[in-house]
Amino acid sequence: MSSPRTKKAAPKAAKPSTKAAKPAIKASRAASKPASDEGMTGRDKANFIKAMMEGIAPKDASGKRPPIKVEAPKKVEILRKISAPTPVERKSNPLSDEALKFAARLEEKFANGDFEALTPEATQALMTAICKLYSANAEAGNKFPVVKDRFSVTGTDAMILCGALLKAVDLQVFELGMWQSWSGI
Amino acid sequence: MAEQFIGKASEFKDGDRQIVRIGEDEIGVFKHEGAFYAYSNFCLHQGGPACEGLTIANVEERLRPDKTSMGLHFTDQMNFVCPWHGYEYDMKTGCHVKDKSVKLRKYDVVTKGNDVYVVA
Ligand code: FES
Repeated sequence: MSSPRTKKAAPKAAKPSTKAAKPAIKASRAASKPASDEGMTGRDKANFIKAMMEGIAPKDASGKRPPIKVEAPKKVEILRKISAPTPVERKSNPLSDEALKFAARLEEKFANGDFEALTPEATQALMTAICKLYSANAEAGNKFPVVKDRFSVTGTDAMILCGALLKAVDLQVFELGMWQSWSGI
Repeated sequence: MAEQFIGKASEFKDGDRQIVRIGEDEIGVFKHEGAFYAYSNFCLHQGGPACEGLTIANVEERLRPDKTSMGLHFTDQMNFVCPWHGYEYDMKTGCHVKDKSVKLRKYDVVTKGNDVYVVA
């Protein structure tokens, strides 16, 4: 094993020879590349560029340079079109207008973090009436999305309410799945 | 990279999207709030069809100063969700909603009159 000292000594010994080689490299660079464009004719410039290009694009066995490949135009194919969901047509009657106003007031309270705008009794009464009304419509074939759009309630909201409704009537998710496959509702 | 014609602007309603193959790339082109956005359809999680799932507004939980919840709310930011395992990407940037360093490849979309082009 060599000591660290001997390792350090080696580059020092090599130094003079590196210095000696430097002027030779400089000289060959100077020969291949003009220092400036001054004094070059147009032909000189063309030859210089040609020489550069020859260095970049190698010739094949027959001494000819392969033709430059032109990229073929890309093929464009429409795979699928996905349409935005169409909103449900709106109808109106006095009770619905009143319900809309009431719902807007509740939403405002919720936005301000007021969760107790309705008492539990009032919430239960409203939920019961809405649950019956929606189900009766669905069974009668009058199906419409239960909320206005995908941004009305969060997934968490939906899961909490579904879970609570199932619990209230002592049903398991498994039974819900079975009933849905039988009834098709 | 060249402009590739993918359809007529009038064929896109707001919220519509189109999945196109341009050469080797599969790209989802969205129209959202009047602007076009195009991203690679290969999810950065496991290569699922990133642009073909739900589009949904960002959900945030608002907190009171004492850190109690004011409930979950949708924000104005629209995201699209990979249908395989739910990676959620920002519609305007293609960044994953939680980790901004995870970013789908974005393509420029150019409209010329009624023609829509994706630069790919
Ligand atoms: S592949 Fe997209 S979320 Fe997993």
